[in-house]
Amino acid sequence: MIKMWKEFSKGLWKELPPFRLVLGLCPVLAVTKTADGGLGMGLAVVFVLTLSNLLVSLVRKIVPPKVRIACYIVIAASLVVAVELLMQAFAYTLYQKLGIFVSLIVVNCIILGRAEAFASKNPPHLSVADGLGMGLGFTLSLTFLGALREIFGYGTLFGVPVMGTSFKPFSFMIEAPGAFVCLGMLLGAMNYFTNLQRRRKGLAPRGNPAHECGSCGLCQGGK
Amino acid sequence: MRPFTPLLTVSCAPHVHCGRTTRSMMLETLVVLIPTVILAVINYGLPALRVMALAGASAVAVEALCARIMERENETDDLHGLLTGLLLAFLLPASAPWWLVVAGSAACIILGKAIFGGIGGSPLCAPCVGWAVLSISWPELMDTELTLLSANFAAPLHQLKHFGFMAVEDMPLLDALLGRQIGGLGAVQVLPLLLAGLWLMIRGHIKPLIPVGFFLGVILASLCFHLPGPDEYAPPLFHLVTGGTVLAAFFLATDNGSSPVFPIGVLLYGLLAGVMLILIRVWGVYPDGAPFAVLLANLAAPLLDRIRPHPFGTRKEAA
Repeated sequence: MIKMWKEFSKGLWKELPPFRLVLGLCPVLAVTKTADGGLGMGLAVVFVLTLSNLLVSLVRKIVPPKVRIACYIVIAASLVVAVELLMQAFAYTLYQKLGIFVSLIVVNCIILGRAEAFASKNPPHLSVADGLGMGLGFTLSLTFLGALREIFGYGTLFGVPVMGTSFKPFSFMIEAPGAFVCLGMLLGAMNYFTNLQRRRKGLAPRGNPAHECGSCGLCQGGK
Repeated sequence: MRPFTPLLTVSCAPHVHCGRTTRSMMLETLVVLIPTVILAVINYGLPALRVMALAGASAVAVEALCARIMERENETDDLHGLLTGLLLAFLLPASAPWWLVVAGSAACIILGKAIFGGIGGSPLCAPCVGWAVLSISWPELMDTELTLLSANFAAPLHQLKHFGFMAVEDMPLLDALLGRQIGGLGAVQVLPLLLAGLWLMIRGHIKPLIPVGFFLGVILASLCFHLPGPDEYAPPLFHLVTGGTVLAAFFLATDNGSSPVFPIGVLLYGLLAGVMLILIRVWGVYPDGAPFAVLLANLAAPLLDRIRPHPFGTRKEAA
């Protein structure tokens, strides 16, 4: 039970999918214009991720390693089609809002990443906990980012006006560049708070990743 | 006990320099921009002075705040922040409300400078970043023609956009040179900007090939449109003296951190910015896209920097 809780809770902060693992950025950037778009997308991912982790974990011993990726894709695709049909039946406005990005959950890095990195090596109950935790972390991140962009970009939160009448919408936030800037700022803020925590514990703050000469290639690294 | 005095002092490489510092370069740029500021105040009145003062002050304040948060040395005294704020103000309409100016300055300093590690680290020209954020967010407040209806100047670029060249054919050149046209409050003071730019070019503060390439690009691209359709498209001279062409060529495109280093790349960079400017004016939705043209050229700068001279004393690599 403790182990399950550990797998569940790591997705909520320590390995928060979009902000810590920096995975699944396509929906993070595309559907977070509003908070409810982010929430709906997140819930769809929770459903797919939990069930795909469960199924992958169940079949992990009978699938030959050579064709495992194809199997994961088939599993994820079937689940995504199920989500799509359910959305069309019960939440058609949300389905129209998310558009192509629901189908694109199939190729979301998180689904494949968790299947490959976790579910294919662990028993079903841990995989479900992992999928739930990761999915929930993803949902919370998307909703938070969506709320942030919606508040500044439209002056509303879940469609309710919150900024008063004299507020002029800061439309930059709901445009494509605003998504990148917002995501970058959030990543920066998370690193800042991590360093603040580390300092409080008396540890040295984590520095920036070292820029190696090889990554640029302009001068062949002094060769 | 005698204090320890070392016999030899060891320090890093440049041991002899001409005394030019960032501060002195920025100070000189600010001083040569004073005539532009004065002409802007003459043409647009005190609201222009208000926008410029507010933009400069808020840019410096935001920079100091960023330095505090990022625990870096406060380097606002190199005047780069002040210059950035002033150049942003040059792009704004004189009627801009105070919060628009402050938001623009903050966007300039935070998105265009601080997050890349301060002066020289940014791949984009900082005032252009602030202008782009503002004109995407609040286009109705940034539209110079809409907000300056009370001014009795012509709006050459807007008329060109909506009615073709016939509508603005008889606009006197001197009016445009002396800033009697509607546009960014400093960007349209063409004559003092031109003189200031030439002075900086002679003094070697800016790479001369950038404005040369920029003007060449504007002239060539506008000729391509003007020669086949003289009634609809404006001739090169019109494009040179209207809108923000001169400001972009001498002060925005020449930002040292975001422009290429080597001569061929620099010339191509200028050409690219100039051609983009005409393309935006002719086909784009913006009547004057000078800052966008500079931003697009900025993005090409790292690629253009790969065209560089052969290092002395090395053999050519076998391909």
